[in-house]
Amino acid sequence: MKGVIFDSKEFTVHDGPGIRTTVFFKGCPLRCLWCHNPEGLSPEPQLMVSQNGCLHCEACRQPCSHPQCQPYGRCILACPKGLLQIAGKTVEAKELARELLKQREFFEISGGGVTLSGGEPLMQPDFLCELLDELHPVHRIVETCGYAAPEIFARILGRCDAIYLDIKHPDEEMHMRVTGKSNRLILENLHQLQDSNLPYVIRVPLIPGINDTREILEKIILLVSKNRGNLEKIDFMPYNPFAQAKYEMVDIPFLYEKPRDNDLS
Amino acid sequence: MYRRKLDRCLWKEFDEKGLTPIERTTERLKAMLKEEKPVLLPNERIAYLRTVSELPQIYSDSEKERVFGKNVWGVGNVCPDYGSTISVGLEYQRNRCMEKMKTADEKQKLFLRCVVDSIDAVLDLAARYREEARRVGNDTVASLLEQVPAKGARTFHEALQFLRILHFTLWCEGENHNCIGRFDQFMYPYWEKDIQEGRLTEEEAFSLLEEFFTTFNRDHDLYPGVQQGDNGQSMMLGGCDREGRPAFNSLSSACLKASRELLMIDPKINLRVDGRTPADIYMQGTLLTKAGLGFPQYANDDVVIDGLVKLGYSLEDARDYTVAACWEFIIPRWGMEIPNIDALNYPKAVEACVEKLETYASFDELMADVKINMQKQADSLIEEANKTQIMPAPFISIMMDDCIERAADISEGSRYNNYGLHGVGLSTAVDALTSIRLHIFEDKDVTASEMKKAVQEDFARNPELLHLLRYETPKFGDAEEIPDQIACELLLGFVDCLKGKKNNRGGIYRPGTGSAMYYMWFGEEMEATPGGRRRGEPLETNYAPALYVRNKGPLSVIQSFTKPDLEKAINGGPLTMEFHDTVFRNEDGIRKVASLVQAFVQKGGHQMQLNSVNRDILLDAQAHPENHQNLIVRVWGWSAYFVQLDKKYQDHVIARQEFKW
Repeated sequence: MKGVIFDSKEFTVHDGPGIRTTVFFKGCPLRCLWCHNPEGLSPEPQLMVSQNGCLHCEACRQPCSHPQCQPYGRCILACPKGLLQIAGKTVEAKELARELLKQREFFEISGGGVTLSGGEPLMQPDFLCELLDELHPVHRIVETCGYAAPEIFARILGRCDAIYLDIKHPDEEMHMRVTGKSNRLILENLHQLQDSNLPYVIRVPLIPGINDTREILEKIILLVSKNRGNLEKIDFMPYNPFAQAKYEMVDIPFLYEKPRDNDLS
Repeated sequence: MYRRKLDRCLWKEFDEKGLTPIERTTERLKAMLKEEKPVLLPNERIAYLRTVSELPQIYSDSEKERVFGKNVWGVGNVCPDYGSTISVGLEYQRNRCMEKMKTADEKQKLFLRCVVDSIDAVLDLAARYREEARRVGNDTVASLLEQVPAKGARTFHEALQFLRILHFTLWCEGENHNCIGRFDQFMYPYWEKDIQEGRLTEEEAFSLLEEFFTTFNRDHDLYPGVQQGDNGQSMMLGGCDREGRPAFNSLSSACLKASRELLMIDPKINLRVDGRTPADIYMQGTLLTKAGLGFPQYANDDVVIDGLVKLGYSLEDARDYTVAACWEFIIPRWGMEIPNIDALNYPKAVEACVEKLETYASFDELMADVKINMQKQADSLIEEANKTQIMPAPFISIMMDDCIERAADISEGSRYNNYGLHGVGLSTAVDALTSIRLHIFEDKDVTASEMKKAVQEDFARNPELLHLLRYETPKFGDAEEIPDQIACELLLGFVDCLKGKKNNRGGIYRPGTGSAMYYMWFGEEMEATPGGRRRGEPLETNYAPALYVRNKGPLSVIQSFTKPDLEKAINGGPLTMEFHDTVFRNEDGIRKVASLVQAFVQKGGHQMQLNSVNRDILLDAQAHPENHQNLIVRVWGWSAYFVQLDKKYQDHVIARQEFKW
């Protein structure tokens, strides 16, 4: 079973216990204004151009005949600094698992494992399930926005060791406005998660002007604590102010504007 | 402000008097110490401050060459046995010399006389320091100097003052890269006894320890080295004792903590660990890494001790190992080794093959040629190194070998007299060979003449090939089979080059994985390499991925770098990795880095040093050095204030790959 990922990063220190490698699945159903992985949004491979270090030599603008460059209208192979890359590659689940299992010793020594993140891993459910099965008995965390059909969510619950679920906003209407989708499915899956015995962590990105008020955060805590299930903790994640740079790299407009300090309540 | 120069031209005086080499060393030490003017800083509890800034020459160039030939070394990079002398005192050592003198021959008498004269000069300065301490009302120091260095130390405080005097004197005698050795072992009895008997509380003992650590930073701008900071004041902590029992103790912990609190580049901390070391010790080490000093540097007993034993060291001595200035494994007291005598240049051995790249029918044929080139290099390095002579150093001899008993200067040799050769640019060479093997012999997507031409032109007319080689071809550190296998083969090739080679002092040649400053020197003068390195780009420091490479991540790097048979190339030279400082932001991150070091050790790595860095801060420090006076980085085997480095060494640190979250 093949899937599309845009990175596999070793030694990610914020994605669960111990030494971990995080695999980033490409494609996401949400469009959060503040998203810090814009290259994970589209399920298609796309061109990423680092601006930092560019010599402006225009070598990438010269016509070329490499098949891999054709979709992008730029030559990826001509850059003397290697600043052009394609985000997104197709991989076979078994092959990817085989690579990750080479790092098993590190995972075992530290109580770590593999974290599957994105993008949204649940957008590629069959690939995800196969990868999870292949990785057994390595500790597996699925990091998800929770926006998936409940049947799919249920399939994942039975195959991993912990879920890291994002809750961005408790109100449906506001959720629509800042992520493009209702939060109903997400909350339904939260309840499913709470009813299962699976350990889970709730992650709340603190986005200035969007959800960083006491009232909203208390609502989120309330949502979670009504039926805690096997909740390990609620993580409040600081907003990443460097997200904007990546938008330039993938040529997507960055629409989120951080309120000026005196606008904050 | 306290400093001045010695106003005498010693070598002329010595030439006129026709002094022998050992007398010259002694007379200079006497002149230096005599010229020293005792200075006590307010409230200090451990005295001695250099006031004579320069060490004058004791030979004219021609006289030096006449006596020693062209390859002359001073004693340095050795680790004296401070502990024994601290426990018995210099008068006792002086008496031993006088006793020995009765039965000695003329040559021995000269040596013993020089030792006695040196001791007298040290005692004289100590007496003047004592008077000065009394004069300024510092009774603490005055009463310490009533006891030491004449008599053996009875307390931790006396032992620290004694060690300060010994170490201070080595610099004045002209030794270079004076190591501190296994401080937590030889000082532990004093530390433990004072605390147990209530003479010092733990806080008081720790406060003295911190003050003692600062003494290493008082005069270090006067110590010789390639760059400021390259002074060899290395301290080794932990490990096992001579019987193999775990030796990490409360003083080891205190040293890690003191270093972390003081944030100074000296002493440079090393930590011995092995497969059984508890996670807590790695945590203590990693807390120090977080402090951003570039240490501790870890050494793995499981690999180092076995490796040294296989080279012929006795098991007990091997268990007592420490490091010389940077990372060269040496034995305290029993080694008069030169572990950094020269360096083999791996990429150079490949470069010669690139010139006739079209002529090889197979990759194996080319590899065989690379090894022949390495052998030629090694042979010529050995030929040169075998002309080495060492200048005498009678004062340090008190603490080396059984020099007094044998009435012989340490420069004449000891139990271990080996030379060490660094192996520089392994990864750059591996990447070059991987490119050749994959593209020319396996995938055949590049022809030999195309590769050769592009490399010779520094890829100026073939940017696509540069891209392919530099960014798209597997590298050492990617945990890929081909480069890893080539690395294993090259390293063993180097080992084979030195097998059975004897040096001119009865020792052998030890192959290593360090680079010293050669990474800069070799890189600057070398053409482009087939791994995609451009002309003049520096090589990697020590045992690390090539400078321009962006590997998959730290796990892959450790996987690759623990594959070669490091036990066989145990001269020293660490895997060097840089982590972004945000990795250490919380305890969880610190624990993960600690686990990573532990994994490296369990996978059979020999030595490792970590830098906590932040490229943005380094760049800002280049632009605004005035705002970053205390910023410290690890350079090749030592740490330095970033703003005091030459720009090319700064740039090298900035160019290394930085592992983020």
